[in-house]
Amino acid sequence: MMSGSNLENVLRSGTFAVTGELGPPKSGDMEVVRKKARILKGHVDAVNITDCQTAIVRMSSLTAGLIALSEGVEPVMQMTCRDRNRIGMQADILGASALGIKNLLCLTGDHQKFGNHPQAKGVFDMDSIQLLQMVKGMRDEKRFQCGEEIKKAEPRLFLGCAANPFADPFEFRPVRLAKKVEAGADFVQTQIIYNVEKFKKFMEIARDLGIHEKCFILAGVTPPKSLGMARYMKKFVPGLDVTDDVIQRLQDAKDQKEEGIDICVDIIKQVQDIPGVSGVHVMAIEWEEAVPEIVKRAGLSQRPEPKGIEPVLSSSGAIDEAVEKARREARLELEGELKKVKAEADASRDLLAKEKEKVASEISGLKKQVEEAKSMVSRKEAEIQKLTEELQKAKEAVSGTAAPAPVASKEAVAGVQEATVTVSSGALSAREQQVLSSLNKGLVALKEVLGLNDAQFEAMRRFLEAEFMLQLGTAVRETAQVTEAPQVQAEAPPAAVTPAPAAEPVEEERPAEEEKPQRPKEVVNLVAQGNVALHAKDFKKAVELFKKALEISPEDEKAKEGLEEARKALLEEKEAADKAVKIKEVEGLPPCPDEIDPDEWKRKWVVRFTARGNVALMKGDFETAKKEFQKALDLDPDYEKAKDGLARAEKGEDIFIPDVKPGEVEAAAPAPEEKKIEKEAAEAKEEKPAKEEAVQEKPAPPEEAKEEAVKEAPKPKAKVEISAPAGEGVGELEVAPLPKDEPPLEERAKGIPEEVYKEPCTGVIQSVTIGDGDKAITVGGETALPFHAFEGEIPNLPRTAFEVLDSPPEEWPEVLLKYYSDVVNDSAAWARKCVNEFGAQAICLSLDSTDPNGANVSSADAAQVAKKVIEAVDVPIILWGCGNAEKDTETLREITGLVENRNVCIGPLTDANYRTLGATAMAFQYPVVASTPIDVNLAKQLNILLENLGVHLDHILMDPSIGAVGYGLEYTYSVMERIRLAALTQQDEKLSPPIICNLGREVWKAKETRLPTDAELGDQEKRGVLMEAITASTLLLAGGELTVMRHPKAINLTNVLVEGML
Amino acid sequence: MIIAERKPMKELLEMVSDVKRLLIVGCRGCVAVCSAGGDKEVSILSAALRLGVKRAGGEIDIHEDTLVRQCDPEYIEPLNDKGAKYDAVLSMACGVGVNFVADRCPDVNVLPALNTTFYGANLSSGEWKEMCAGCGACVLHLTGGLCPVARCAKSLSNGPCGGSQGGRCEINPDVDCIWQQIYDKLSSMNRKEELRQIMPIRDWTTAGHGGPRRRIREDLLP
Amino acid sequence: MSKIKGFCCNYTLSVEVDALKEEGLVPEDLEIERLPCTGRLEVPEILDAFTKGAEAVFVVGCQVDKCHNLSGSYRASKRVKYAKKILEELDMNPDLVEMFFAGRGETEPVVEAARTMASRA
Repeated sequence: MMSGSNLENVLRSGTFAVTGELGPPKSGDMEVVRKKARILKGHVDAVNITDCQTAIVRMSSLTAGLIALSEGVEPVMQMTCRDRNRIGMQADILGASALGIKNLLCLTGDHQKFGNHPQAKGVFDMDSIQLLQMVKGMRDEKRFQCGEEIKKAEPRLFLGCAANPFADPFEFRPVRLAKKVEAGADFVQTQIIYNVEKFKKFMEIARDLGIHEKCFILAGVTPPKSLGMARYMKKFVPGLDVTDDVIQRLQDAKDQKEEGIDICVDIIKQVQDIPGVSGVHVMAIEWEEAVPEIVKRAGLSQRPEPKGIEPVLSSSGAIDEAVEKARREARLELEGELKKVKAEADASRDLLAKEKEKVASEISGLKKQVEEAKSMVSRKEAEIQKLTEELQKAKEAVSGTAAPAPVASKEAVAGVQEATVTVSSGALSAREQQVLSSLNKGLVALKEVLGLNDAQFEAMRRFLEAEFMLQLGTAVRETAQVTEAPQVQAEAPPAAVTPAPAAEPVEEERPAEEEKPQRPKEVVNLVAQGNVALHAKDFKKAVELFKKALEISPEDEKAKEGLEEARKALLEEKEAADKAVKIKEVEGLPPCPDEIDPDEWKRKWVVRFTARGNVALMKGDFETAKKEFQKALDLDPDYEKAKDGLARAEKGEDIFIPDVKPGEVEAAAPAPEEKKIEKEAAEAKEEKPAKEEAVQEKPAPPEEAKEEAVKEAPKPKAKVEISAPAGEGVGELEVAPLPKDEPPLEERAKGIPEEVYKEPCTGVIQSVTIGDGDKAITVGGETALPFHAFEGEIPNLPRTAFEVLDSPPEEWPEVLLKYYSDVVNDSAAWARKCVNEFGAQAICLSLDSTDPNGANVSSADAAQVAKKVIEAVDVPIILWGCGNAEKDTETLREITGLVENRNVCIGPLTDANYRTLGATAMAFQYPVVASTPIDVNLAKQLNILLENLGVHLDHILMDPSIGAVGYGLEYTYSVMERIRLAALTQQDEKLSPPIICNLGREVWKAKETRLPTDAELGDQEKRGVLMEAITASTLLLAGGELTVMRHPKAINLTNVLVEGML
Repeated sequence: MIIAERKPMKELLEMVSDVKRLLIVGCRGCVAVCSAGGDKEVSILSAALRLGVKRAGGEIDIHEDTLVRQCDPEYIEPLNDKGAKYDAVLSMACGVGVNFVADRCPDVNVLPALNTTFYGANLSSGEWKEMCAGCGACVLHLTGGLCPVARCAKSLSNGPCGGSQGGRCEINPDVDCIWQQIYDKLSSMNRKEELRQIMPIRDWTTAGHGGPRRRIREDLLP
Repeated sequence: MSKIKGFCCNYTLSVEVDALKEEGLVPEDLEIERLPCTGRLEVPEILDAFTKGAEAVFVVGCQVDKCHNLSGSYRASKRVKYAKKILEELDMNPDLVEMFFAGRGETEPVVEAARTMASRA
């Protein structure tokens, strides 16, 4: 057995097989297929499902075959080579096999020219013989056409082919059939036979070739529906031999249809006698109704019991059945669930009853106490009586001597006092009042014993009070007054066993209700309890209770009212709570971003405040520190770090306050403004302690050898010695400062009116601070054009960040790489080297390796590297993504999750990811790099978008996309210049953030930095350094505030220039 | 030879509707031989376009030129400078020439005047027939020198389909059934038994389905 | 430019055109171009005649089998055929160009051709 299909079974059993044909519709109408299948069912052993016959688009043979299968008719799926290549065909074969199709008829297919899409590209990747080979290979060798193994579930298909005995060259036809059999055909269905003689000849040759022994041959027959059809077939269908005899018979017939069926039956009977014919293939094209009749008249209506027809996908009937089954199961499950719920409800009812009993016994206990209290009261009264009497007596006795009255016992005094209170309370009698008070005390005790919460307790108390009052026969209104619960007032009467007195006018107005069957006691109790809970502001419990009441008595008005009220109250309460929370947030903290959990937000701020406190502490600003720590403790009183900090801030005196080093100030701030000096001094102050600490207190910086260098060089940026081999071309990395002997501008301009050379600006650039503590750097803040210190204030010098890569650089020229060759494999060490050896003021970590188009390192791995770098150095860090918006979002978010409370700068934010990254940055108050393609308007637009998002302009660094010298520098220059002019002279605030220039990467990818040293171009390193330094200085002149660079010498050159000019 | 034919005048007129100065460049290679793009066709097209543009109420200044071949760099070299002076250059070469001009003459706005149709032979004056599909994997030794890939409507590999009747292809009585011819040819050579061999499924990568094709002969490389 | 343009083989027309015009035998706006042989005529010349303003163009050559140059007028007729195809492609009436054959030295067919074309223009 090849496939176990019904057709295969029938043929192998030696029964004369009958197959039919079913043309799928030119629509998606499944019913057409169903209908045709039902007509053929039981009359044929299998049905061919044509594959867009004559190249007309129809429902696919696979689909229609499955529909037929679902009707219990075995399909022979036809497959042509016209519309699919080997990929599509094998895919469909796998699918067909998976869904229970077991017969496949392999055809080359009619040329597309004949169909309704003659413009289509015919695929013909293979022909029918090659298709047979392919499917046989898939079935028997479990290999795809390419040779790859089919690991499991290879298609088990009974393979068929077609043969046309009437096409030319006639002698070749049996040979070609033999080829098909050799290629894999298990059965063949022939073209429509009218010329039986010719077919007999064909069969003769076929028998000679032994074909009939290797494959089952089914003769194709078609009843001609009319004379016209027969003529058409004769004339227009290539390879169809309609004999004149057939035409004649139809011409002479009274009923052409009847005659057509008879012709067909005759042919079947004739071919049945031809040796080697195993069956017939009846093709009643668009005349399926004829098939049962043909089969009957041919004496073939006794079809073997079908075997192996099992639809994998179910028919609609089966679906209905499955749905019904599912429904039944669901119902059973539901019923079980219901029972369970009922049982639970019963159990809880029992529990409730027990609870009640318990309460009742407690009440009786309390009653006893009350009795005791009563008796005590009477005893006390007696005592008082006695004392009063004694007093009277004493008075009488001492009336003349004026002796003081003996002091009354404490008890007596208490008793008197209580009595007094009792009297003043009015409505209740003194005794009742006293009883109540005792009752309360008892209840308080009970509360503690039972561990009730306030609401439960309150409810119980009120319930008991009500009970008490009623038992005592006190007026309803008074009870209400005592309990102060209008709801209870309304419900109390029915809750009591005694009928309500006429205190409720509403009830009176509806006497009919009185006549109604009494509300079930349970309900009444539940409603009463609900009201009590309501009053006790335990709205949830109230809702539950009312609901329970409604479950028992759904129409109970009181319960409904109560429920509504309770729900409303619950809602109000929730709103109020929400509001309170919101107000709290707004008051204490910046608004919590949506994507962050409020608790998480709070925690972040605890950490943040603490960090700020620590910073202040380091600065010696104890007041601020205290405030910050207090803020943290307000949010989380248990935060140990804040507690410690606060304690330290309060002690204060043991914190080291460094001196101001004047040299530092002078070098850094030659400008005359007092404010500036102050600021620089402060900076210097901040820098100093850390350094001194490093040198004096800590055992040693990472590399012992550097200690001296650091000591000698308080200004590391210009004077640090390097351990890396110095380039031949650049010599020492150190750069001599620019001479400063030029007389100041005022002197030089003496005699010239100021307005001639000064053109003060009206705008101001934002100050942006990156980093933490004393190593933080601030850029921007100026009110003058670059280096125009004489026109305005330039409080902060332009700064440079050293670029560090997260993976070993692949394309850095040796002249650059040599400075870092010992650290390229460890970004943290690299960053440390930049800081310790080259005096880096900031580090820019380029996360190039995360680029999905490059190494595509995972965000998590990159984040770990970033974390190490951040932990390795205390200078400000800029985290620069790979430029892929999506990946950067992922990576930078990952990193921020690890950074804790370091104030890093993240970028680049583009129009594609500013929302997500902007939100992240805002959440952590990180400055960001807003990156746009070299255009003023785009830069402005992104700033606006970020501002709308809530990122303040003083947290933005603009990256206008820069080019190196010779590579678009002039374009960059003019765009940056326009941005600066807009900000400073047109007060365009949206363009006021400082500009960051990530130029190292641009310079060092330029050809000029890579060409080796030669006579014409000179020394390679010198060339590169100068290119980088010139690019940097040009960009600074254009308005750049922060540069990202690579070569230490180039950076020193740039810094010297900056210092020399300002 | 590469066979081509002139595009319909309407399509060409549409193509040059915005062109004021046009250079028509013929090719003396295959397209001249198949009377589609040589000197003569250049001057006819030129006259036809002038007439067409005039009738449409437009004006056009047309110049003519014909190159030895448009598929060799040395011949199209001068076209870059010359062609740049025109709004467009209408190439009457096959698609190879148009592409090559586009590749090599960046300043030239090159337009195709022909539809390149097939690799064919000249049956008689004015009649050409497809003979080769350039599939890159020749089987002609197996088929008596007659190509089933180019000349069978379904590119069959294993003999004629059921539509072969009287030596004609079912798609069009004007088309010969090449498999009938192959059968006849091999029969006459007493080789028809060879047709019993199943020709395995083809590898179409060489036919361009493996991407644009390229040929290199190392010994001739500069 | 005349409205009717004729290309004539040197061997056909034997009378001056102006004389024919004076006689009123041919339209006033007829222009005849004599060619040594119509076989020399190319398609562009026919088309250009239209471009220059002709409303109809005709060619008169020797009888096909009596061409002085053997196949000159036959070739001319083929070119006229191609010119017709192009006129069709340009949405023009292909009958506006026509090939006529005349015996050696015969004037009558030329006059007839000119009149026919004038009626088509």
